[in-house]
Amino acid sequence: MSTEASAATPTPPRVVLEGVRRSFGGVAVLRGVDVTIAAGEVLGLVGENGAGKSTLMNILGGDLQPDAGAMRVEGRAFQPRSPSDARNAGIAFVHQELTLFPNLTIAENLQLVRFPRRAGGPWINRTVSRRLAAQSLERVGLQRSPNTRVERLSAGERQLVEIARALDSDARVLILDEPTTSLGASERDRLHRLVRELRLAGLSAIYISHELHDVLRECDRIAVLRDGAVVATGSAGDFSVDSLVRHMVGREVRQLYPARRSSPALEPVLELRDVTRRGVVRGITFTVHRGEIVGIFGLMGAGRSELTRVIFGLDRHTSGEILLQGASLRGGPWQRIARGLALVTEDRRLDGLCLEASVADNLALASLRTLSRPPLGILHRTAVDAAVRQIGADVRLTGTADLEAPVARLSGGNQQKVVLGKWLLTRPRVLVLDEPTRGIDVGARAEIYQLLQRLADSGTGLLVVSSDLDELMGISDRILVMRHGDISGSFEPGSLERERLLRAALPASVA
Amino acid sequence: MRAATWPLSRAAAGARAPILVLCAAAFIAFTVTIQGFASAANLSGILIAALPLLLLATGQTFVLVSGGIDLSATAVVGLVSVAGGLVMSADAGLLADHGAAPFAGLLVMLATGILAGVVNGTCVGTLAMPSFMVTLTVGMFAGGLAVLLVRLAAGTETMFSLPRVFVGIGGTPLVAGLVASGCAVAAQGLLGKTSYGRMLRAVGYNPRAARVSGVRVARVTAGAYVLSGLFAAFAAILLTGSLETASPAHGRPLLLDVIGATVIGGTGLSGGRGQVWGTALGVLFLAMLGNALTLLNLSDFVITIVKGFVILVAAILDHARGRG
Amino acid sequence: MNVRELKTALNYDVDATERQRRLTRQALGAAPVVLFVLVVCIVGLQSERFVTRETAVQIMAQAAPTVVVAVGMTFVLLTAGVDLSVGALMFVGAGLAGHLAVAGWPLGLAAGVMVAVGVAGGFVNSVLVTRLGLMPFVATLAMLYIGRGAGRWITETRAINLPESFLVLGASSWLGVPTVAWIASAVAVAGQLVLSSTPFGRQLYALGANAEAARKVGVNTARVTAAVYIVSGACAGLGGLLALSQLGAVSPRFGELYEFDAITAAVLGGTSLYGGHGRVLPGTVLGALLLKTVFSALVSVQANPYLYPLITAAIIFTAVLVDTLRTRLAD
Repeated sequence: MSTEASAATPTPPRVVLEGVRRSFGGVAVLRGVDVTIAAGEVLGLVGENGAGKSTLMNILGGDLQPDAGAMRVEGRAFQPRSPSDARNAGIAFVHQELTLFPNLTIAENLQLVRFPRRAGGPWINRTVSRRLAAQSLERVGLQRSPNTRVERLSAGERQLVEIARALDSDARVLILDEPTTSLGASERDRLHRLVRELRLAGLSAIYISHELHDVLRECDRIAVLRDGAVVATGSAGDFSVDSLVRHMVGREVRQLYPARRSSPALEPVLELRDVTRRGVVRGITFTVHRGEIVGIFGLMGAGRSELTRVIFGLDRHTSGEILLQGASLRGGPWQRIARGLALVTEDRRLDGLCLEASVADNLALASLRTLSRPPLGILHRTAVDAAVRQIGADVRLTGTADLEAPVARLSGGNQQKVVLGKWLLTRPRVLVLDEPTRGIDVGARAEIYQLLQRLADSGTGLLVVSSDLDELMGISDRILVMRHGDISGSFEPGSLERERLLRAALPASVA
Repeated sequence: MRAATWPLSRAAAGARAPILVLCAAAFIAFTVTIQGFASAANLSGILIAALPLLLLATGQTFVLVSGGIDLSATAVVGLVSVAGGLVMSADAGLLADHGAAPFAGLLVMLATGILAGVVNGTCVGTLAMPSFMVTLTVGMFAGGLAVLLVRLAAGTETMFSLPRVFVGIGGTPLVAGLVASGCAVAAQGLLGKTSYGRMLRAVGYNPRAARVSGVRVARVTAGAYVLSGLFAAFAAILLTGSLETASPAHGRPLLLDVIGATVIGGTGLSGGRGQVWGTALGVLFLAMLGNALTLLNLSDFVITIVKGFVILVAAILDHARGRG
Repeated sequence: MNVRELKTALNYDVDATERQRRLTRQALGAAPVVLFVLVVCIVGLQSERFVTRETAVQIMAQAAPTVVVAVGMTFVLLTAGVDLSVGALMFVGAGLAGHLAVAGWPLGLAAGVMVAVGVAGGFVNSVLVTRLGLMPFVATLAMLYIGRGAGRWITETRAINLPESFLVLGASSWLGVPTVAWIASAVAVAGQLVLSSTPFGRQLYALGANAEAARKVGVNTARVTAAVYIVSGACAGLGGLLALSQLGAVSPRFGELYEFDAITAAVLGGTSLYGGHGRVLPGTVLGALLLKTVFSALVSVQANPYLYPLITAAIIFTAVLVDTLRTRLAD
């Protein structure tokens, strides 16, 4: 990367990644990533969700270990075992979810592990602390008293404090992960000005964002990540929004998706009319018909998962109506399950499974009411066993025939099948799925798609939320795109308009 | 807070039903080393004395499985006992010498236990207050209320002259044994064979997943505390009968044993895990231990210290097992 | 239960506006002060002898041991933990010190033993919680039983009457204020200074707010957590000393229920059971004074002493309920 001007002793690039690989439970997420960042250079990193950006940055930031590949920072080998190692080497990661402590002041947050102290005693030297903090704040252009409690700062201000904290630890490379999502226009400009100033001072940065205009304007070079590898890289001037979008989506069609046998009926089974939840989703209106698979695409933060929670009754909607088979849905999850609704949540470990309980117990959990006999609610052991074994076979639970084993021991794919089995046992009329194949190997994915298709064929209405455009195009009859809490478009995938779909999902400024 | 792991997890995870092994080992050890331990009189004495503890620990099992703890159970025993005395006692009861006194007394006692459970259950289940603080406070209130009521009614802290019929329940070993074992069996059935039991476990393992799966977490959680209160009432009935007095002091010394028995018996403190039969074995172990230490002429406080250590070890092993 | 689970359990709604939430939170936080003023006014009107200097001095003296123990408890509560063993540690320390004093040991040494016992007990608690990973309430509950058993063993379940010299501390005053109150104030000031002006104190608040983030940022969370239990133990020992110097004897029930008074004082004063929020000054001290004022008021109106545990329980319950509601409303 050195130019003629520095030919005498070429400065090594600030960061080099070579052949970085990483898999999770048999699923390859990074397939040999090569990236180089020069000193004083801002690299834009773009790619769809699931392309591997977060994993790559977590590896660089010391939170994860790569399976293979090498990393160098300023010419020296870089193998961080923890975020502290990465910080010490000069890599500062400003996450999307900020890690400031709202009950402490700005100065305290900045200096939590390096307070200036009075004359060798235990007491904090507040005067020096304030002065140092003011200097840090000045560097990032935040005009707030260092004694302000962080809980009183806006999102943009908090972000600046995070950056100040990163700079305080002598960062050489700043990683900014979706830095502008919670910022207003003026705060965004301030951030970009800051990045430009820092760049002039020799700092390198990695700028990850879906705001492609910002990326084109603020970055020196851009790398496009797709399916775990860098598919395009070059100086920002060589790209345009169109070319970036094309690189992000263009790929071979994988033969994973079973052909649909029956076409959906015209009878609506789930209807949303102007559903709103303040601050989260707005005026959502659409219909799912019997036997139809409706996909919902969108980027993180678009409100898709929140929508599924509202549909299922985990969160209340502030206005609008949700109808199941023509009748309004009310109450919490247990009432909606009784009416025939089911929800496969985004994070099975968090709220999809009881990890320490057995496979059989998890499978039966949502159907306990139907499997038990009133008035005492006694479960008939043989009936439950039979039902559970049947559903286990239906979802093709492989390998472990031991239904009494704790579900934590199963692979990701099998765990997800347990979740699906649990819901299938309730014989739902509408099944809502949020990222159904996240972190699952190809084989299990194919089986899940077949399962979903069979369900649709038998008359169940499906609503599939996913970040995987390919997946949605492969299985959906129709795709809705969400952006910023409302629906920005409705598409029939008969017209293979992948790029149009992605543009509908990207921030309005880009599309 | 992450702690440094000790290699206990391997030890704890390896044994299946360690409580069974523990009971057998303790029985053998005590029989061999202590004169008179294995005599019929001593053994039957252990079992009979352990019945109220069995009931309390069984009720506690439900609460622990739900992921909480009920520190009010023993104080509720005292309150229930006093409530019974207030109805039935020939000296100071409302229905003194009335034919219906025993039945009314029983009803009032059960209702009192259930009421305490409802209070606990509402605070922990619906209001989501921390269970140890709530039950600690409710226990303090119940204990204080019991003393206040008995003093107001009888001027002392003990009421005598309870109806013969009533005393017969707790006082006749056979009847008491049937009541206690009947309750324990019913509890095992409830926990192991009903949808409620499965829902309770799910709440203990992962309340978020339980909610998504249609479990009404608040109600299920509250139910566990109601059961604990109900079983505390049963324990009070037995104690009041066998001691032939109604007093707020009944059950007070048992809290340590209740927690110890459930933890030793395999009921995890973090929720989900636990069986009534495991608790029953835990009760048996503690009863044998207490008896053995008494036979060895060790003073009460030494016994308390030993039991405190036993809980500690059991909790450490439970924690290690959970992470193994 | 941590804050996030609490909010899920309560089906946290976005409907209440920011301002409403903040106002309600502040109102709930001001409740103890309002209650204090109310109690003083109501009882003061009923009984002339209540709002006098003598009563105030008496309340300060009675509150002194509680304040000291509550300062230590505040540290523990800030980490979302709890220390149920403080009363038992007081008892063991008092038993040992009592024996030593009766045997002729100098007062200062006996006092030192009390604090040392507290520190040792706190150290054991810290090992149980940080190294063995036990839940704080289980570990300290077990220690409560072990401690009370040990205490009863040491005192052989008999009361120990201490020599006169011991009572000097409890009976003396300086500038009209009891010595024990001065000591308690010093402890409170020291505690507040540590919390607000040392790195340890600030890291403690960070840990209480988000333990995982604190660890990521480089705070030695194990060491900070261990330290709070040792502080609590030391405060228990010192508080026991103050109580002992006022009572002049160690009865088998010495120290009982101090843990509740300490928790109540802290929570009434604004310390949250969920961690991350709370102050020694004015919070915990005010809470302790409120508690003792209420009891002094009860004595003043000659309330039935059998009502005391009921009232204590009601106060603690209200404090915890307020804390839960306030945490629910927090951002």
